[in-house]
Amino acid sequence: MHPQDDRIRWIKSPKLGVAGRSYLPLFVQGLTTTLRHLLGRKLTVESPEERHEIPDPLIYRGVHRLNRDAQGRIKCVACFLCATACPAHCIDIVAAESPWPDREKYPQSFTIDELRCIFCGMCEEACPVDAIELTSLYDLSGKSREEMIFDKEKLLSVYDQTKDAEPMRSARA
Amino acid sequence: MLSTLIVALIKIVLALAGLMTAAAYLVLVERRFAAWVQDRRGPNRVGVPLTRIRLFGLGQPIADGVKFIFKAEFTPGHVDKLMFFVAPLTIFIAAAAVFAVIPFGSVLPQDFLPAGWGVSEPIRLVAAPGIDVGMIYVFAVGSIAVYGVVLGGWASNNKYSFLGGLRSGAQLISYELPLGLGILGVVLWTGSLRLDAIIARQAVGGAWNCVLQPLGFLIFAVAACAEATRLPFDLPETEQELVGGYHTEYSGIKLMMYLVAEFLHMITASFLIVILFLGGWHFWGITGSGEAVTWPVALLRVAVLLAKVLGVILFFMLARWSWPRFRFDQLMALGWKVLIPLGLVNVVVVAAWAEFGPALAARWGISDPLGLGLAGGAALLLCWLVVAASDPTRVDNSPRRRVVTPDQDVEEIFN
Amino acid sequence: MKDSHTIWILATLLGSLGLWLMLPRGGRRGRLAGAALAVVALGLAASQTPRLGTWTAEGIFAALALVTVVAAAAAVTCRNPVYCAIWFGLTLLGTAGLFLLVGAQFLAAATVVVYAGAILVTFLFVLMLAQPEGKAAYDRASWEAMLSAVTGVVLIGVLSITVGGALTAPPPEAAPSAAAVQAGVLRPQHVAALGTELFGRHLIAIQIAGTLLLTALVGAAVIIAQGKNTKTDSINSKELKTDEE
Repeated sequence: MHPQDDRIRWIKSPKLGVAGRSYLPLFVQGLTTTLRHLLGRKLTVESPEERHEIPDPLIYRGVHRLNRDAQGRIKCVACFLCATACPAHCIDIVAAESPWPDREKYPQSFTIDELRCIFCGMCEEACPVDAIELTSLYDLSGKSREEMIFDKEKLLSVYDQTKDAEPMRSARA
Repeated sequence: MLSTLIVALIKIVLALAGLMTAAAYLVLVERRFAAWVQDRRGPNRVGVPLTRIRLFGLGQPIADGVKFIFKAEFTPGHVDKLMFFVAPLTIFIAAAAVFAVIPFGSVLPQDFLPAGWGVSEPIRLVAAPGIDVGMIYVFAVGSIAVYGVVLGGWASNNKYSFLGGLRSGAQLISYELPLGLGILGVVLWTGSLRLDAIIARQAVGGAWNCVLQPLGFLIFAVAACAEATRLPFDLPETEQELVGGYHTEYSGIKLMMYLVAEFLHMITASFLIVILFLGGWHFWGITGSGEAVTWPVALLRVAVLLAKVLGVILFFMLARWSWPRFRFDQLMALGWKVLIPLGLVNVVVVAAWAEFGPALAARWGISDPLGLGLAGGAALLLCWLVVAASDPTRVDNSPRRRVVTPDQDVEEIFN
Repeated sequence: MKDSHTIWILATLLGSLGLWLMLPRGGRRGRLAGAALAVVALGLAASQTPRLGTWTAEGIFAALALVTVVAAAAAVTCRNPVYCAIWFGLTLLGTAGLFLLVGAQFLAAATVVVYAGAILVTFLFVLMLAQPEGKAAYDRASWEAMLSAVTGVVLIGVLSITVGGALTAPPPEAAPSAAAVQAGVLRPQHVAALGTELFGRHLIAIQIAGTLLLTALVGAAVIIAQGKNTKTDSINSKELKTDEE
């Protein structure tokens, strides 16, 4: 853009009065602000001993889980919608013929690379059977990269661990 | 002779050890303080090693020190090796050497020493009690510290370090003048350059210099803050503009020397503010004001002095988060166009009062210090109003919109 | 002519030659030889200086004097301008130490404040801004190396012979008595006495020096005012379109 373009609005710095130029209001303002925060409530949580309070765990996007149906079977039908929707390509599914009569396929293996995952929740949105969901567990850690690739059993165990605190979305409706 | 030497050595060792510990713990105080201002808690977990005892994070300075010492100390290939090594040493030694003349209290009774030692006078709580030019010595050693910063910036051979070094050179030279003018009023009023004499004058008179010479106090406090390169005057190391300023290329123990020296500068500045303007070890009613002291009074004086110093340091730390940093041209304008003229006004007021004051005070029926206080207060008020009305630091930052086309002659543009 | 004078003259000649060899004249020839000659000259001169009595005074004086002289030589022979400035700073510190040794506290502190603290830092500032590397020819070679070396060393030699001669064989009235020293630099109210002296007996000299400095200051201000292009302001404000228009 040309510097003398008429569409540019040049703004002059505001004119200060005598009070403003005496630096006193700014001095007092700065000091009161810092003093207020100095004496105010601290927001940091003493982490390992105290836990963050998550306002609504049902919409929090933490570690994934694979839900079970009423008979304790995995709900996933290996439709690959989650893997397709995943922007980080962290979901890897190997489908096989279902041993149960109510569906055609089931996941023989279902792994999520938690290190690649960006916790966007797209998989949850894409799933037609509410099989994959994000829980409110936020502090996942591991000693190796391999450990952070969650397989089917691990993801199901996350469900077992969290099903009471966070009921399935289909059950909620 | 020998006993004097031993007493001096003990004082030096105690002062240095105390200073290093104080600097280390002030880092913790600064971090906790910063955290509180930002609604955080700060480092509160490191306590006794190998146990679960936390002690409010009091072990943190030890951990920090150990970390600094054992960290990789990297010397980049493009630096000037000798100066890169000398610069942090210079600033560290200069920062520590100032404390030779700074009193840590009044005096200690000599009765705890064996009579055979031949110490007949009370022990002055200052490492070098015989120096008659204390204030100028502080200045001299303080001006050596500039070299550490300027040379560090130059030796790093890095444009950000270099800019930091240049900035600090300009800043420290500029603010030495108002600093000196602020001191001049105190020296005039006291009639001595010795720091213990300055305290004694305030203690005997009962009126602290900050009341007698408010203008000088203000100028000195601002200039001391700038000399210690504390925020809002930390332009040599503005991390948003210069990465780390003059110590960008430094690491390990050399960086630690720079950081400790910075804290020592802050401690020095606080000591000077307290000694020159806030009465030193004097507090009305509890410390007395005379020379001969008993043990409780002597220790109380040390405690009062250190408490005041801690108060000033805490104010510095609060100031850090309270006001935004100056731009460099604003810094220069404040120093040259505001503080130096006001410093001259202060000197003139104090000198005039020293010459004509006693007679005037006698005629008006008020005490001498009260008269100086009134004159100083009036000068402060008037100066502040004049500065606010005339606004000498204002600069026109509106964009320059002269458009240069290739066929225009350079002469034409500037005529 | 006394023996000591012969030695002083020899030291002066050797010092001149050594300094000339050490001065940066382009090329590296003879710097080591020059340094060796200068050390010999220094040793000869040192052998002729009067003894001070106690070994502590002797040792402290020798250390300070050595630092001062070596740093001074390095300041003129160094090739890197920044290093020259630093060596000069060390010379000033050594000088201040020598002042302190004879009890002139104020002079020592003032030397450091004024020279090392203000003037030299300004030098450094300008050196760094102008040519950080010192690449210019005039930075790397000294002008009139021969003349300057000879002048400098001869000056020092003559001064040393005169002062040294006075000290080795003091006429009884010339040496300051211990009582006079005690009353002068060593008294506790040293600064006050100095002030009385300066602003009493030497008031005219102080005033003249002050006027001279003030003149220089005004001159500098005038030069700045001339150099400033007064038109930049009009460029800035004339064509500025703001919201208010």
